[in-house]
Amino acid sequence: MGKTVDVLPGTLDMLILKAVSLRPLHGYGVLLRIKQISGDALDIPQGSLYPALYRLETQGLIAAEWGQSENGRRAKYYTVTASGHRRLRQETDGWNRLTAAIGAALNTTPDEV
Amino acid sequence: MWSRLSTLWRALRGRPEFEDTLADEIRDHIDRYVADLIAAGASPAAARRQARIEFGNVDNVKADCRDARGLRVFDEAHQHLRYALRLLWKAPVFTATSVATLAVCFGACLTIFAVVDAILLRPLPFPNADQLVSIYNTYPRAGVPDDGCSITNYYERRGRLSAFSGLAAYRDGAVIVGQTGQTEREFITRVSPEFFDTLGTSPLVGRAFTDAEMTYETANSAIVSYEYWQEHFGGAASVLGRSIRIDGSPATIVGVLPRSFRFLSSRSRIYLPLASGADERTPDMRHSGNSTRMIARLAAGASVALAQAQIDAHNAVVERTDRQAKLIADAGFRSLVVSLHGSHVAAVRPMLLLVQAGVLFLLVIGGVNVTNLLLIRATARLKEFAVRQALGAARRHIVAEVAAETALLTLIGGIAGVALGAAGIRLLVTLGSSRLPLGAHLGFDVRLAVAAIAAALATGLAMALPIAWYSVRNYSSSALHAQARGTTASRSAQRLRHAFLITQIALSFVLLAGAGLLATSLMNLSRVAPGFQSAHVLTGQVSLPWARYAKIADRLVFIDRMMDSLHSQPGVVAAGVSTNIPLSGNSNRSAATVKGFVLPPGESIRANYAYAVAGDYFAALRVPIVSGRALTGDDARLGNHVSVVDEDFARRYWPAGNAIGQKLFLGSEEGPDTEAYTVVGVVGAVKQAALSEQDALGAVYYPYAERFDNALYVVTKTSQEPDAFARTLQRVVRGLDPELPVNNIRSMDTRIADSLITRRSPAVLAMLYALIALLLTAIGSYGVLGYAVVQRRREIALRMALGARPDQVRRQFVALAGRLIAGGSIVGIAGAWMTGRAMQALLFQVPPLPASIVVVTAAVLATVCLAACMLPSWRAARIAPSSALAAE
Repeated sequence: MGKTVDVLPGTLDMLILKAVSLRPLHGYGVLLRIKQISGDALDIPQGSLYPALYRLETQGLIAAEWGQSENGRRAKYYTVTASGHRRLRQETDGWNRLTAAIGAALNTTPDEV
Repeated sequence: MWSRLSTLWRALRGRPEFEDTLADEIRDHIDRYVADLIAAGASPAAARRQARIEFGNVDNVKADCRDARGLRVFDEAHQHLRYALRLLWKAPVFTATSVATLAVCFGACLTIFAVVDAILLRPLPFPNADQLVSIYNTYPRAGVPDDGCSITNYYERRGRLSAFSGLAAYRDGAVIVGQTGQTEREFITRVSPEFFDTLGTSPLVGRAFTDAEMTYETANSAIVSYEYWQEHFGGAASVLGRSIRIDGSPATIVGVLPRSFRFLSSRSRIYLPLASGADERTPDMRHSGNSTRMIARLAAGASVALAQAQIDAHNAVVERTDRQAKLIADAGFRSLVVSLHGSHVAAVRPMLLLVQAGVLFLLVIGGVNVTNLLLIRATARLKEFAVRQALGAARRHIVAEVAAETALLTLIGGIAGVALGAAGIRLLVTLGSSRLPLGAHLGFDVRLAVAAIAAALATGLAMALPIAWYSVRNYSSSALHAQARGTTASRSAQRLRHAFLITQIALSFVLLAGAGLLATSLMNLSRVAPGFQSAHVLTGQVSLPWARYAKIADRLVFIDRMMDSLHSQPGVVAAGVSTNIPLSGNSNRSAATVKGFVLPPGESIRANYAYAVAGDYFAALRVPIVSGRALTGDDARLGNHVSVVDEDFARRYWPAGNAIGQKLFLGSEEGPDTEAYTVVGVVGAVKQAALSEQDALGAVYYPYAERFDNALYVVTKTSQEPDAFARTLQRVVRGLDPELPVNNIRSMDTRIADSLITRRSPAVLAMLYALIALLLTAIGSYGVLGYAVVQRRREIALRMALGARPDQVRRQFVALAGRLIAGGSIVGIAGAWMTGRAMQALLFQVPPLPASIVVVTAAVLATVCLAACMLPSWRAARIAPSSALAAE
């Protein structure tokens, strides 16, 4: 296991939306998927995952449905709704702009001033 | 927003399912993680432990999830309500008292509000009802405040005044409908063609009347109400063109009105054309009201003021050529434009508002009572609150708890109140709310229920505020001390409780005094001598249809035969007929001119009551003959030009007392001597319009003749119970003419009682309120005093231990009660005086606040309150000195 960083406040929702947007997932799957797509760099506190899922569901950004999991157990699967997709696109754009700007700012050399 | 609400709703509805799902999901998560950890090589026990640690406290996570769903507020509310319910359950006497108090107060409020709403607030059931106005002629200086309008007014005004988009005339009456042997007397309204259009309605089938139908020769059509159509024609479509027999002549049905149509409080189910002859439409007849009334609809944008200005201007123009212009002007003539709704309910409005104010007073008393009881509870729990606050309970929680308790109380009280109110409304409907104008509109509906519940909750909030404020504010370290008694916190609570009790006593004082004023007024009225003897007198109405009784001779023959037949019945002492009787509800006045009487300059002619009588009318009513003789059956039969006047009339025109032998003329001007009526007698004055009548207008009695109304009152004095004679009266009349029904049969005693209904009902209601207020005040006094004793238990015990006598202790509490009662009564007297002044217009010969009422009210209140305080004082005196040690 490599070095992990905490999720930035406010970014958990974004990550959940992204994870779920790739394919429907149950709660534990969301955790694994975020780990996987972040190259094991992000560590989600398990306790904060479910309140976030319920918040997103209440906001109508993701939807839940009962289904059979691979091990034959009943599990609650989350999918992204249309407004969830829209929100994900906005958040991704915003995030990209922010990191680009911060990156540009942090990489500035004295010559460029 | 909507999607959120719907998710919330789903979450609330599926609450148990939500909890199951949440638990399943979290269990599943942990299981999977444990499985993964075991797969990675951990021992099952270690895996399970690590999973638990990493997941964190499951209950906290669950709470966060609920929070995310927005369920927490509901959880807390639920918790508070359950807690409040448990507390209330544990204090059944307090709960029952409070709920009953609130239920009775809300119920009474709702019942009365329903009446006020139906009669005063709800618009008339016509489109744009606020545009509807009534226009009437007034001659205030002649003693005629409202003379309706004349046919001439109607023909002169219609279509000429731009402020009105419609203008119509109508006249209520009664006719005999049906075939020989099965006739019925039906109330009808004769209307001009624009009547229905002006009201904004039109016949469901058929048409309205036309101008061509407005003469006596052509007025043979009729429009019937929906109910009449259903009842008599089974709702058949073929009703148009069918004929009904009205006063013996056929009338063709040309229209049926919509199902809900009802004009104000009218009972008419048949409408006929308002026919008139050419002679009735002339300028000379402009001031002959004859019970005709006028309604109009204001044109869009026109105000009542504009309409009034146009009517005034129009009157000024037409009056210029009036022969009697000066006479009319001296009488203060004007035509007034007023709101149709407002003028229709004007007579009952002050009484209704008074009753509503009374019931609101009651609600305040009840609210103060419950607040005081709650305050006592809150004081008892002050220590608990303080401990909890010290231990970190949020103020918000304590406030929410107090709010939950009051909300629950008021909600239960409110629902019980709605049930009581609904029952009260049903009771009023069966008791005859239809006797009130627009009273038939009274009913219980969802709108009222919602308003009542909302009002209950608002009251609950108002009651919770002082308690919550008090509970939170008095959180202080002093309250934490074991001996919280005697600290500033409890002293302020005591002041508050005493202030509330004084308020309650003062309000009850006002209510009691108000009830006393109304009762005194009613008593004064029932002591008024009406000028006739009502005992054993039965009265009924008979209308002689014009078609068969056009000639006066035929009418007189019928009257004579009816008198003979009635006199031959066993038990009949005297019988007579008259075109009007006292307290009939018809107080139309007319003019009489005394020969040779010169009107003093600046004075107006005076209207007087006019009766046309036959038979032994004066004997039947025992109206005393002051001088001369009464009119007899012979005067009518022979067409004698004689008259009898009452004392008021005689005093005005012949103050010297020489009335007998004088001559007078019917109408507002002198005529040829052949038309003069010679005065042959003076009789006592009777109360015509109401027992409270003060303006002695005077009355003239003429022998029944050609020019008088064909609707007659039959008056019989019997030796038996008058109501038992009703059947005989009907049989006698049917025996003479099988087509003639008698209706409006009531004993004179009943008529007197009915005439007082708008005074008796508020008095009875006020008595009822006063009784409830008294009971509530007793409960309040008992509660406050009782608590004071409990609170000072230790002090009393200590004093007793030190040698205080029981009666000293008792006296101390009785003195406290006395101070509170005295304080409340002093405030109450001031309030009662103001109330009495405000009620002056509704009272009959009662000063604003008679000393007797103050004394009686104070005595009753003091007795009841002291009695309520006796028990706690008694208990105080029996506190054992040893309990001082045992208490703590």
